[in-house]
Amino acid sequence: MSEDIDVELEQEVAVFYQSFGINQGPGDIQYRLILKVLENKDPGITEFSDIRKYTDQFADRGSIGSKMKTVFQLEGLVKKVKRGGYVITNKGLMAASFLKNTTTFYKKTKKMGEIIERMP
Amino acid sequence: MMESGLLLNITICFAITLSSFAFAWVLARSEPEHGEKSKPALWALVIFWTLVGFTYLPTTIRMIAAYTQNYGLDLLMYNLAAIPFAFVSVPLVYFIIYVIVGDKKVSGYVSFVFMIFGAAYLTFLYSNGVNSTVTEWASLFSVNSDIAINIYLMGLFIVPTAMILGLLLIILLQRVPKRLRYRTTLPLVAISFVFDFMLTDMITNIDIMQVFARLFVLIGTVQAFLAYFPPLTLQEKLGIQEYQYDFYEEDDETESDNHIGDDSDV
Repeated sequence: MSEDIDVELEQEVAVFYQSFGINQGPGDIQYRLILKVLENKDPGITEFSDIRKYTDQFADRGSIGSKMKTVFQLEGLVKKVKRGGYVITNKGLMAASFLKNTTTFYKKTKKMGEIIERMP
Repeated sequence: MMESGLLLNITICFAITLSSFAFAWVLARSEPEHGEKSKPALWALVIFWTLVGFTYLPTTIRMIAAYTQNYGLDLLMYNLAAIPFAFVSVPLVYFIIYVIVGDKKVSGYVSFVFMIFGAAYLTFLYSNGVNSTVTEWASLFSVNSDIAINIYLMGLFIVPTAMILGLLLIILLQRVPKRLRYRTTLPLVAISFVFDFMLTDMITNIDIMQVFARLFVLIGTVQAFLAYFPPLTLQEKLGIQEYQYDFYEEDDETESDNHIGDDSDV
């Protein structure tokens, strides 16, 4: 695993995007965590249990499974290579890079908002 | 009259004194409108403008003394004005560090360093004395201590000015609403205006330059005032006016249904 996932930060960012009316993708904590785990495991195989380690506090097994199927597999972000085993695709990596940008945008906006809040 | 220039000088100094005190007072009075987080920065600004006022109050008296050829009072008031002037960067540094970092302790420590700079400047200034000349336009003092001038340039002015420019750049590079940008950048521009022309005022050896520097300090003060309380015409010109819109409670769907009805009638 290349880097640890800051679940709390991801949650914060997701809530931030939800407040914009974006409930899918960047505004969805499950989507964020799944994509992060997949990216970290690249180029290896991501086990379903790797994902559940992070998502168990937010969602049950079933909803993660269906998200994998209806979003990630359907859109070609991952390739299922075995039972409960996925590999992220190039498109998936692109999505992961976009997700990183959303985190950066959140951090920048938050920082700027705080600076302006402190300006009398 | 030979010294009519001095009269202009007196007027400008007095105007700076009045407007900076008035601005500090108005800012202090607007305290309840500010959020808990911006209050430390607000008080730093109030102290800053008060110090500007306290620098130019003795300076006004000094110019009157020069005009009436009372040189003893002139020197006394110069020494008095040097005290608030030496510490003018302290609240400013506190303000900038607080706005950027958001930590009262850190900004307190950093501004304490500038307090030491200010004290050092005063020590060297008082121990080495000054030379005075009175001209048609101004009463000038040249500081004998080179160390004092260096401290004052490096510590008291260049660093805080760089900090202001840094903060200005941070805000300008962001995509923030126009109104917010006006509210945040104009006070900073005004402060750096006042701050830097105060430096020019104190350090110059040319009488006319002193008058102009003071004129720009006055302009800066007015600018700061406009930043916080922009008149309506200026707001309209800049497109930053704030309209008071009320909430509209009714659902849009019922309304759009009516429109469809209207269309079918036509």
